[in-house]
Amino acid sequence: MKITTYLLAATLLLTSGLVSAASIELQVQPDPTNPSHPTMGDWMHFNSVISNTGTKPIEGLVAWISLVEVTPGKEQPMDLEDWSAHKAVTGTTLKPGEALKTQWPMRLIQNGGYRIVISATDRNNNAVFTSPTLQFHVAQKPVVESTRILPVALGIPLLIGGLLGARKYRGHHKTT
Amino acid sequence: MNPTMLITQKERSALLQNQRGLAWLLAYAGILSAFALLLISNQELSLLDNAQVVYMMAGTVTAAGALIAVIIGADAYAGERERGTLVPLLTGPISTSELLMGKSLGLASAWGIMYLLSLPYLWSVGASGQNLGQAIIYLGLFGTPVVLGFGYLAMALSARSGSVMSSLLSSLIVLLFSTSPLLIGPGLRNSAIGKALDAVNPFSGALNTYDAVIIDSDPFNAQLGRLALVVIWLGLMFVFARISARRPAFR
Repeated sequence: MKITTYLLAATLLLTSGLVSAASIELQVQPDPTNPSHPTMGDWMHFNSVISNTGTKPIEGLVAWISLVEVTPGKEQPMDLEDWSAHKAVTGTTLKPGEALKTQWPMRLIQNGGYRIVISATDRNNNAVFTSPTLQFHVAQKPVVESTRILPVALGIPLLIGGLLGARKYRGHHKTT
Repeated sequence: MNPTMLITQKERSALLQNQRGLAWLLAYAGILSAFALLLISNQELSLLDNAQVVYMMAGTVTAAGALIAVIIGADAYAGERERGTLVPLLTGPISTSELLMGKSLGLASAWGIMYLLSLPYLWSVGASGQNLGQAIIYLGLFGTPVVLGFGYLAMALSARSGSVMSSLLSSLIVLLFSTSPLLIGPGLRNSAIGKALDAVNPFSGALNTYDAVIIDSDPFNAQLGRLALVVIWLGLMFVFARISARRPAFR
């Protein structure tokens, strides 16, 4: 009987912990204005909703966006340095039933297949909660204007260098 | 031919018609080519908007132009003194004003060539984007007073010090300070001191105008304050050069 009581108490404690731990719900959707065929250089936006579905307030909420490349043979986590200036939301408090909407802008720096996920935790939680992932493909942009830049960037110094050489040759011939 | 045009012709031939003269032009083209090649070789840079690239190229042209103007200006009087030609010039049938004007026109010719040389680069990086025409016009309108102003500053210091090294170093320090907006980030420029410096810095005035016109498509009347800044800078430096050139150091 005592053992049963202790077991029941332990179960209740555990589940109450689980209930309060499982109090963050995340959803993420692509913004309707996102390009239908994203290309390098385009901007995409992702809209997330972080909800407190528990009975206790969430304090010190931290939510962040992660990006993973899933191109076959090139699978890797991506450093968001050039992709996004808005990488995290910090220090927010959510009361029970409250939700936080956030938009995550992202510039598509490299071509390939990618997935994003929004993660969140708070100061009193050891668990990290994640949204469903969103996958998208970024098409390659042709190398910018190289057919216009190369002739100018190489041609003009060559032309001036040629003039220099011609003057030097003429000067040398005059003295000899 | 009047003495001013004689001096101008001498300056032009020194800059363009001999090998050492053409070398500076090659170096200048090299700077612009290096930047253009960086654009197509670096993936992140190649994603910049055309307008952003044109803005960066215009800033580079202005900075390089000011640097070369400082070098030319530093040689204007001190170089003649070190070559032993200043005293014959001063004792010849040419007034100090005519000498200064001749040097000024020579400097202006150098900037004119740099400006023309920059046009194919601007076209190559910005032809498919926005505001290329405005970029070309505003580079001339704002770049010219900034560049010539630095040239006059260097000429004034050259006349006063009589030493190419000394006048070049002093002018370069002022130029470096002025071009600091290119080096420091927007965060520092947005501080109170950063904004105060921006308000009196002719180089910042030109850069901010390029930003406003090329990237943000702002109208001309929004640039009048900065136009006044660069014109005042040119005027003050010209007056400084004129006062200094009346009694150049020739010993």
